[in-house]
Amino acid sequence: MVGWIDLARAAVGLNVLLLAALIYVWGRNYYSIRSKHTLGLLLFALLLLGENVFALYFYSLNPLLRVWFSTAVPDPAWQAMLALHVFETVAIAVLTWVTWD
Amino acid sequence: MEAVLWYVLTSTRGGANRIRILRAVDERPRNANKLAEQLDLDYKTVRHHLDVLAENDILTDSGDDYGAVYLPTDRVRNYWDTVEQIMESEA
Repeated sequence: MVGWIDLARAAVGLNVLLLAALIYVWGRNYYSIRSKHTLGLLLFALLLLGENVFALYFYSLNPLLRVWFSTAVPDPAWQAMLALHVFETVAIAVLTWVTWD
Repeated sequence: MEAVLWYVLTSTRGGANRIRILRAVDERPRNANKLAEQLDLDYKTVRHHLDVLAENDILTDSGDDYGAVYLPTDRVRNYWDTVEQIMESEA
């Protein structure tokens, strides 16, 4: 059975992949165009990647929180958390779409 | 316009090549074929970049169909300071 935590992991995992694509593009651009604008985008993506890597770590690896998140969090709380993750996924996907151009 | 220039030229995957195209047509208006040849890019890549640049009102074509040459728009000429700032920050 797929639980709420699995969906949350999937959304966060997707965020990590999309952010890796953005960091690839913006990192390469910053390498050739040393502008403040490009640096800002790169830092933005790196920080957002940090957020998602932490979430993935808490949901999957952290010995205490992994268990707590998968057993002790009630469904309505998971649904609210998942909504936040999914909105973020859609937002990053749109940004990746306009950037991969 | 400034925000458009920063985004299209520095924040997208094809940004660096679009700067090269803009520099080339600023020097002298050229058609897609010549640009591909001189910048050593695939013709289809150049076509895509030209379409993006035209869509964003950065370049315009002379309208001669197949041999159409591309040149900077009047609008981008008014913001040429920004373009130069972007070109200068190129390593």
